[in-house]
Amino acid sequence: MIDCINLTHYYGKRCIYENLSFSVPQGRILGLLGKNGTGKTTTINILSGFLKPRSGECRIFGQNIIGMNPELRRDIGLLIEGHIQYSFMTIRQIERFYARFYPQWDKNVYYDLMSMLKVAPNQRISRMSCGQRSQVALGLLMAQNPKLLILDDFSLGLDPGYRRLFIDYLRDFVKSSGKTVFLTSHIIQDMERLIDDCIMMDYGKIILQMPVDELLGKYRQYTFRLAENSTLPEMADVYHPTVIRGNVELGSFLDAEELKSRLVANGVAFEDFSSQKVNLEDAFIGLTGKY
Amino acid sequence: MLYKEWIKTRWFYAVALLTTFALCGYVLLNINRLVSLKGAAHLWEVAMFRDAIFIDMMRYVPLLVGIVAAVVQFVPELVHKRLKLTMHLPRGYVRSVMEMLLFGFGCLALLFCGNLVMLLLGLQTFFANEIVWHIVLAALPWYLAGLSCLEPVWRRRILNIMISIACLRIFYMSPAPEAYNRLLPWLTVLVVVSLALPLLSVVRFKEGKE
Repeated sequence: MIDCINLTHYYGKRCIYENLSFSVPQGRILGLLGKNGTGKTTTINILSGFLKPRSGECRIFGQNIIGMNPELRRDIGLLIEGHIQYSFMTIRQIERFYARFYPQWDKNVYYDLMSMLKVAPNQRISRMSCGQRSQVALGLLMAQNPKLLILDDFSLGLDPGYRRLFIDYLRDFVKSSGKTVFLTSHIIQDMERLIDDCIMMDYGKIILQMPVDELLGKYRQYTFRLAENSTLPEMADVYHPTVIRGNVELGSFLDAEELKSRLVANGVAFEDFSSQKVNLEDAFIGLTGKY
Repeated sequence: MLYKEWIKTRWFYAVALLTTFALCGYVLLNINRLVSLKGAAHLWEVAMFRDAIFIDMMRYVPLLVGIVAAVVQFVPELVHKRLKLTMHLPRGYVRSVMEMLLFGFGCLALLFCGNLVMLLLGLQTFFANEIVWHIVLAALPWYLAGLSCLEPVWRRRILNIMISIACLRIFYMSPAPEAYNRLLPWLTVLVVVSLALPLLSVVRFKEGKE
């Protein structure tokens, strides 16, 4: 559905990433995770055709988005960061406006969602709360009925209730009709409830792309205490170890026995070894580091 | 697209219509008062020999209306980069932006034509046709200036504003009636060309340079 090949982008002399490649298969919900400044919004802007990368190309439905046939955008739903919409319109006016552009427009889906907001049809969007505006934006996306949804930081400004509402509606809509979704959010717990696959980005590169179930099934957080006079050397397949007063915390895809044998092979003496499964947020912090 | 632009700007154009027509009415009432006080013959003499046009207070009104129209129409698109919504619609973005610009141009043109027709009809009750056209032709560059102020307002603003001021200065170089008669076609061309300038900014926006 989406193929990004060797994307390279700079802002001035600052490299955002070089030769970034990834694909989003049809019917999957893929979340792009990364710290601030790693290029998530840059990637969304490139995907939605609002930023021309320095080099590389991005293809959606097999077409390069630079010079894409505008009519293909009928099948791409875009949620701009902060649920931005035409706030000078009322919820009825905005529905009428968009309906003319989309032949498959389903206004019932939109008005069903609006009826839950307890707002009058002639209420202006600018006078709604951030949570209500997010539902308007979601209702418009659902009425458009696109094959692909691109959502930029969908949780921005939403309280926990509205975040949950947004996710539940979106997931139900997407899963019941086989849509493909590419999204970012700065709240990773939300992503865990929603996404099938994740891409984790660090500065300038992709750390991993894999199904969330596989990630959470394999990734472990390990803690142990170093014996006196023992130090922790640099080791492969171990992510961001931290040592505080002899207590070690690290993450790895290695299983416990494999990690223990590697520690022994590296001459590390340790005790109180324990491993635990983690949630997506802890895995993200473990893989990208706290700083 | 016109539906969106209409919802966004309809209150502004309603206020602009009332205000500009009220100002035109005020100008005509003022002339009527001068006729009553000093007689029509005196006014004709002043108009013919001293190049008085009696509608000087309208000089910057079209320009001001044009600037506010541009702000009312385009600032909501720029806040939070809302223009992305328009450019994501399943149609060519150049077409969308041209429709927005032509909407603004068309509304202002209608408004200004209404003003000029009101002045034309009103002035005809006081003056001979030659003097009426003498006055209306003096006002035409002001109205053209009002149409040309739909200038690009994105980044490079300082440069664009300087270019805009330089262009607008052309419309106000001479206060003498009919001084612009030979220049009016060229000013019209300038207005039409200035319509295309925002497209340059939109192309830059599309490539992520704004």
